[in-house]
Amino acid sequence: MSLLRNITSGLRSLFFKERGEKELDEELRGFLEMAAGEKMKQGTSRKDALRATRLEHGSVEIAKEEVRSSGWESFLENSWQDLRFASRVLRKNPGFTAVAVLTLALGIGANTAIFSLVNGVLLRPLPYRNPNRLTMVWEKSRDGSPENVGYATYLDWKAHNKSFEQLAIYSSWQPVLQVGEPEQLSGLRVTSNYFRTLGVHPEIGRDFLPEEDAPNTNKVVMLSHSLWQRKFNSDPDIVGKPINMNATQYIVAGVLPASYQSLMNQDPRGGAVKIWRVLGYDISQPWACRTCHHLVAIGRLCDGVAITQANAEMDTISAALSKAYPKEYDDIGVILTPIREQLLGPASTPLYILLGAVSFVLLVACANLANLVLARATDREREVAVRTALGATRGRIIRQLLAENCVLGLLGAAAGLFPAYWMPNVLASIGAGDLPRLDQVHLDWRVLLFTAGVALLAGIAAGLAPGYRLSKNNRHDSLKEGMRDSGSVASRRLRGLLIVSEVALSLTLLIGAGLLLRSLSRLLVVSPGFDPANVLSMQTSVIGQRFNDNTVVRQYFADAVERLRALPGVQSAAAASQIPLAGNMDKYGFHVEGKIHANPEEDPSAERYCITPGFLETMRIPLLRGRDISPADTATAPQVLLIGETTARRMWPGEDPIGKHVKLGGMDSPWWTVVGVAGDVHHVGLDAGPDLQMYIPHQQWPFPDGLMVFVIRVASTPVAISSAAQRAIHSLDATQPISRITPLESYVGLSVQGRRFALILIGAFATIALALSMVGIYGVTAYSVAQRTREIGIRIALGAPRGELLGLLLRQGMLLVVCGVAAGVIASVALTRFLGTLLFDVQPTDLLTFASVVLLLVAVSAVACFLPARRAMSVDPMVALRDE
Amino acid sequence: MILKRKRSMTEKPSDLVQGTLDMLILKTLALEAMHGYGIAVRLEQMSHGVFRVNAGSLFVALQRLQRAGLIKSEWKATENSRRAKYYALTEPGRKRLNTEKQEWGRQVAAIARILEAS
Repeated sequence: MSLLRNITSGLRSLFFKERGEKELDEELRGFLEMAAGEKMKQGTSRKDALRATRLEHGSVEIAKEEVRSSGWESFLENSWQDLRFASRVLRKNPGFTAVAVLTLALGIGANTAIFSLVNGVLLRPLPYRNPNRLTMVWEKSRDGSPENVGYATYLDWKAHNKSFEQLAIYSSWQPVLQVGEPEQLSGLRVTSNYFRTLGVHPEIGRDFLPEEDAPNTNKVVMLSHSLWQRKFNSDPDIVGKPINMNATQYIVAGVLPASYQSLMNQDPRGGAVKIWRVLGYDISQPWACRTCHHLVAIGRLCDGVAITQANAEMDTISAALSKAYPKEYDDIGVILTPIREQLLGPASTPLYILLGAVSFVLLVACANLANLVLARATDREREVAVRTALGATRGRIIRQLLAENCVLGLLGAAAGLFPAYWMPNVLASIGAGDLPRLDQVHLDWRVLLFTAGVALLAGIAAGLAPGYRLSKNNRHDSLKEGMRDSGSVASRRLRGLLIVSEVALSLTLLIGAGLLLRSLSRLLVVSPGFDPANVLSMQTSVIGQRFNDNTVVRQYFADAVERLRALPGVQSAAAASQIPLAGNMDKYGFHVEGKIHANPEEDPSAERYCITPGFLETMRIPLLRGRDISPADTATAPQVLLIGETTARRMWPGEDPIGKHVKLGGMDSPWWTVVGVAGDVHHVGLDAGPDLQMYIPHQQWPFPDGLMVFVIRVASTPVAISSAAQRAIHSLDATQPISRITPLESYVGLSVQGRRFALILIGAFATIALALSMVGIYGVTAYSVAQRTREIGIRIALGAPRGELLGLLLRQGMLLVVCGVAAGVIASVALTRFLGTLLFDVQPTDLLTFASVVLLLVAVSAVACFLPARRAMSVDPMVALRDE
Repeated sequence: MILKRKRSMTEKPSDLVQGTLDMLILKTLALEAMHGYGIAVRLEQMSHGVFRVNAGSLFVALQRLQRAGLIKSEWKATENSRRAKYYALTEPGRKRLNTEKQEWGRQVAAIARILEAS
C-alpha cells in the first residue's frame, strides 16, 4: 500500500515536475516569509530578517534540492541527466567513441552470436509437454552401455512397471512416398501411445488408436506440418485420405503442429523425421523377439516418481526377466536417460567450451576499453578536478563515468547484434556438424536480454577501475597548469595489469585454437581406409509387389550396377547395404566356430556390409589376403564372406582366418566361410578406431537388402555423373526413388565438421583477442612514449645512442608481454584439458603448440611495441624540449 | 546534486536521533493540522528551543511521511490570509504515533536503567 503510494507519488513528481516544483517553491517561500515575519515583529528590518532566516535555514534552492533528492525518482532523473551528458561528451570525441564502440562490438558480437547458438540448441524449451518427466529407457549391454530393446521385453516392462505413466517405443522407418516424384522420407514407426507419451497433439485429425497397433491394421500415418504443406498443399481435408507409400495404401490420421519438430533422428545426413506410422507388432512375429534389439523406448514418469526410484523398479523387473530367460539377456539392469540429456547432452560440452572461449574475448575487449578510458582519464583530470571543487562527490563522478561507459556498451551491443542476426547463415555456410536444433538458432528475447546485460556489464566493468582512479586524484595538483603526471604511477600500474591480463587471455585462446588446429590436421591425414575421391554415392530402395521375390531384388541390383558401369566415364560401380562414414549403423552378431560363448548373446557383433561384386575395387579398399567376392558367388553357391583386418586379428589371433566358419545373427543360421581379408575402414568416424567388419555377397544373403547405396567411381568430378546415373537406374524402373546423391568426400568432410566448426570459431575468437591485445600494447607504448618525449629529447641531446633508447622503450612493453605470457601459459595448462573430447591425437599440453603460440604472440607484440618506440627515435631533440 | 554533504552541517543546534524527527512531527500534528512553519515553531517551543529544525530536513521528512501515507496535505488559507499547505495525521499515522511512543518509552526506560546502574 505505502510502496504503491511511494511509486505513484514518485511518478507524479516525475511527470508533473513543474507543478510539484511550483508547490514546493511556494511552500518553502511561505515558510521563510513566516519565519522572517516573526523576526520583523521583534523590530528587525525586512531585509535583515530575510537574510537571517536564510542563514538559519539555508536558501530556498538548497532546501528544494534536499527535498527533491530524497525521493527515488531523483535517482532516475540524475541517471537520465548522466546519460544525456554522456552522449554529449561522446559525440564530442568521435575518434575515441568509434574505437571504443568497435572494441565492444567485437567482444559483445562474438558473445551474442555464441549465446544465440547456445540458446537455440540448449536453452529453448523442448517441444514436449513437461519434458522433465520424459526419459529414454535402455537395456544395459554387457559393457554397461545403453542398448535398444526387443519388443517382447518392452511388453514385459510395460505390463510390470508402476513408475511410468506411459511407455512407448519407436524404430526408424524410411518409406518412399509416391506423391509426385517418389521421395524417400525419414520416418518413425511408433506405438500408438507415442504422441501421448510425448504430450503432443495433432493439429488436425486424431491421434493413433490402440486397436490400430496390430499387424494388419497398422497402415495409418501421421504427417509433419512441413510435409503436409510441401507435398499436400496444406490440404485441410487430408485426414482420412489414402496416400501411397512403398506401393501400399496408408490412411492419414492427422497432421502435427508446426511447432513440433522431431528430435529423435539427429543425423545431419538423414534430415528430420517427417512421417510416423503405427508400429503394429505382435509377439508372434520373429522380429518381436527379446534379442531383436532394434527398438528405442521412451517413457513418461508418473508424477512424484523420481528417476532413481523408476530405475530401481526397472532393475528389479530386468532381474526377473533375466532369470526367466537366461539365454536372451547379456546383463541385468536398465538405463534411464533424461530426454534432455539424451538429445542435448552430447552437444552441451562443445557449446559450453565455445561459451567459455568467447567470454575471454569479452574480457579482452573490456580490458582494452578500460585502457582507453584510463588514457583519456588523464586528459580529463582537470575537468574532474573542477567538478569536484564545485562539490561533486566521488560517487557522483564515478556514476558519470559509468554512464558514459554504459552508453558505449549499448552502442556496442547494437552493433554486436548483427553477428547473432547472421548466425543462422554462418551456421549454414560453415556447417556445425551434428549439433541438434540448429533451426532454432535465431534472435529472440533471450538473446536480446543477454546482449543488453552483457553490454551494461562490460561498460560498467571497463569503467569501474578508471572511474575510481580518476575520482581519487588530488584536485589541487590537477587544477594547476602543466601538472601532467599526477597519479600516473598508480594508473600506469593499472594499465600494465590490464595489458598483462589481455595477453594472458589471448594466449589461452590462441593455444586452444592451436590445439584444435593440430587435432584437425592430424585427423585429416587419417586414412578412412578407402579412397573417397571421385566417388559418387546414391541411395535407393526397391518398392512394389514384384520385389517380394528375393531373386527379383538380387537381379534388380545386379542389373542396376551393370547399367551404371556401362555409363561413359564410369571406372567401376557397385552397391552395398551401407557405406562407411555415412551415418548408417547395421551390426550383426558374429559367432566364430569353436569360440562361441555359452550364452551366444555375449559374442561380439560386426558391421555388416551386404555388397555386390566390385565394391572393394570401387571403394579402393585393399584386399589383404584370400580372394574378393565374385559374380560366381551366387545364391546357390557355397556361402562366403570377407572380413576386416581387425576382425581377423581379434577373432583369430595368430591364425589364418581363411577357410574358417562363422554364424551371423541367430544361432539357427547356416555357417559362412571366410574367403578373404579386407583392409579396415573407419565406419563411425575418422576419430573412432575401426571395429569388427564383414562383407557378405548380396546374392547370398537370405533376405537381400532392398535399401542399397550405389557407389560409382568416375574419372572426373563425381557430381557430373549424377543425372546420367539417375537416368540409368530409372531406365530399369522409373518408379524407384533415389536419394542422398552425395560424393563420398562430403561424408568424410561431415565426419570432421564438428571439430572444424569449433576450430573456426575458437580461431576467430583468438584472432579478435590477439588483435585487441596488440592494439592495447601499441596504445600503452605509444602513450608512455608520448609522455616521455621530453625525457627522450634530453637523452638524445645529451648523446644517448638511439639503439639503447629504443631498447629502453621496448623493454617496458615487452616486460608486460612476458608477464602476460607466463600467466597465459599457466591458465592454458589448467584449462586446455576441458577441450578433451574435441582434441584428437594431441595432448592438451602439447609442447609444440604451446611453444609456437608463445613465439607467435611474442613476435607480434614486439612489432606492436616497436612501431611507437621507433617513432620516438625520430624525435627532434629541439622540438621535444620546446614541447612543454 | 552538489549539496548532499551539507546536511550534517545545517542540523546544528541538536542533532536528532535518526527517525525521531518523524515521530515528533506526527506528535505535533496529533492535535490539529498545521503548515510547515507551524510545525517548526511548535517543535522549537515544545522542546524549549533545544530542537531547531531547518526547512530542508523538515520538508524532506514531510515528503517521506506523506509518501508513507502517515500524513496528508491540503492547501488552505492561514490566519494571516496567506496560502499554505496544511498537514494532518491520517489514521495509519495516528496508529504509528502510538506504537512509536510506546517503543520510545521502552527504550528510554531501558537506557535510563543502564545509565543509573552503578
